[in-house]
Amino acid sequence: MSILRLVWIVFMKELRDGLRDRRSILSVLVVAAVMPTLFGGMFTVMAGHSKDAVEMKLPVGGVENAPAFVEWLSQQPGIEVVAAPADPEQAVRDRKEDVVIIIEKDFAKSMARAVPAPVKLVSDSTREGARRKVSRARNLINAYSSQMAALRLIARGVAPTVALPVRVEEVEVSSAQERLAMQLNILTLLLVIAAVTGGMQIAIDSTAGERERGSLEPLLLSPVPRVALAAGKWLAASVFGCASVVFSMLLTVNVLRRVPWQDMGIRFRVSDADLMSLLALMLPLVFFLSAVTTFASTFARSFKEAQGYMGMLILLPLFPGVISMLYPLSNRRYLTPVPIFGQYALAADVLGGKPPGVMFYMLAGVSVVACALVLVALTSRLLKREAIIFGR
Amino acid sequence: MIEIRGLRKRFGAVEAVRDVSFSAADGTIVGLLGPNGAGKTTTLRMLSGLMRPDAGTIRVDNSDVVADPIGVQTHMGLLPDSRGLYPRLTAVEHIEYFGRLHGIDGPTLTARTKALVTRLDLTEVSDRQVSGFSQGERTKVALARALVHQPRNVILDEPTNGLDVMSTRAMRALIRELRREGCCVLFSSHIMQEVSALCDRIVVIAQGRVTADGTPDELRKITGRDSLEDAFVSLSGLEAEEDS
Repeated sequence: MSILRLVWIVFMKELRDGLRDRRSILSVLVVAAVMPTLFGGMFTVMAGHSKDAVEMKLPVGGVENAPAFVEWLSQQPGIEVVAAPADPEQAVRDRKEDVVIIIEKDFAKSMARAVPAPVKLVSDSTREGARRKVSRARNLINAYSSQMAALRLIARGVAPTVALPVRVEEVEVSSAQERLAMQLNILTLLLVIAAVTGGMQIAIDSTAGERERGSLEPLLLSPVPRVALAAGKWLAASVFGCASVVFSMLLTVNVLRRVPWQDMGIRFRVSDADLMSLLALMLPLVFFLSAVTTFASTFARSFKEAQGYMGMLILLPLFPGVISMLYPLSNRRYLTPVPIFGQYALAADVLGGKPPGVMFYMLAGVSVVACALVLVALTSRLLKREAIIFGR
Repeated sequence: MIEIRGLRKRFGAVEAVRDVSFSAADGTIVGLLGPNGAGKTTTLRMLSGLMRPDAGTIRVDNSDVVADPIGVQTHMGLLPDSRGLYPRLTAVEHIEYFGRLHGIDGPTLTARTKALVTRLDLTEVSDRQVSGFSQGERTKVALARALVHQPRNVILDEPTNGLDVMSTRAMRALIRELRREGCCVLFSSHIMQEVSALCDRIVVIAQGRVTADGTPDELRKITGRDSLEDAFVSLSGLEAEEDS
């Protein structure tokens, strides 16, 4: 009998067995669903904050001390000056207000004498969400201050540029799409998580579970080359991983498309072609990751032990993901053949609007599948060890 | 036909099997009798090809187990010590899975599965997932999957362990039937009655060595005991322990 037929028999059995394991299928779906929802919510809140900073209500206390300043403030685009609460510090502490400006009594007097006029900016720096509003308020005060400074210099017959020895000109080289890609790396990360967790249950069940139940010895008594057993189990885990990636992608994209990106000044544009490109990267990766999980859980005597290994293993693909958040992996094509890193790098390019050529997909795919086959061969060697067959 | 010569196996400091030689001919039932820890399961594991002996040869139907384990496994049905099943598969699915792994498919597989289900009295539960099965039903499923390829050599490790009276009787009937069909049946047990009720020949193992090999009558003669149980106790070297 051909070895491929044996692989197919083992594969179909593991698939049927896995599909009947409702609980683990449910857990895969929940993991795949919770993360995108969480990130979608996070982005929506972030978008809300930046919207708040564009059109904000600015509480100002001591309005009567500086009518000109308040008048100037209320003329700024998107700013609506409102009355400050009675106890501004308490209000900020209680999160009733994000930021409050208090104009001190001496403001007008100090202005007239050309000494620094006191203004208080009440804020709480531990509050991430208020940060944009606080910096907007501070910028407004600074802008008013430099405007007044320029007027004073002109009044004294001095060119305002004299007081501006350095002029900063910011040159932004990344495209808006690339900046979005930084945020979208999270999509790649979620897909990698889905790739690992999707096939994990079945990988554990068909190896460590087989040992724990005592069904490995009877299985190995059938005249089947070990490599056919290892390959069938690996392929079954991979199919679950692929299903999980597709599910997670559809869900994540749908969630991300609902985030009000325009409020952050970003245009979210991930085309269906981009999604197909991501799948072309991720699906081969699934085969590698499930080969890793199958190999690792063959070492485990029990389900519990295998789950312990998996807890560590899941960090492996997350590590480059986290790195890619700190040091963007875009434009690093030389990483292509390195499993996981290559996928992150190429995915960053896809999402950054600079899709790599077909050759890169093929190189990345061939590389991960080759690594996977090596791991399958190693797994089949493990299945010959007496300590693994009989060690329970 | 099974021939074992000079078998040895050591696990670290423990010599589980020191010197085991015996043979089992086609159409006979041979009982491997010995107290717990005598080396029965280790011997059967080496016979199955899953464990490599340190020394000695095992030939099944003139094929060497160490050199060609897969060839031997094709003609061997083994009910091992561990009888793990897949809780989410039905009894029939278990039998069919192992049948397919042996290269049986289509109508032949369906017919054999049906025959085994009837023979082992599993008809009522055949399409249920095995997670709720009793110990006896589990053993029957494990036995059925070991016999689906109609092996000529059948090896059973403590086959009646955990079975009730009726299931034990059914198991004995099955073992006799296999002999009638010309199979070579080798089974291990630590239960005297079972061995004496079934076996054409008994091989007694104690502390990793064969201490006696013969028909039940011959064993009684060697030891000069009337009861086979006394003969067994004497041959296993358990007498000294009993006295002390």
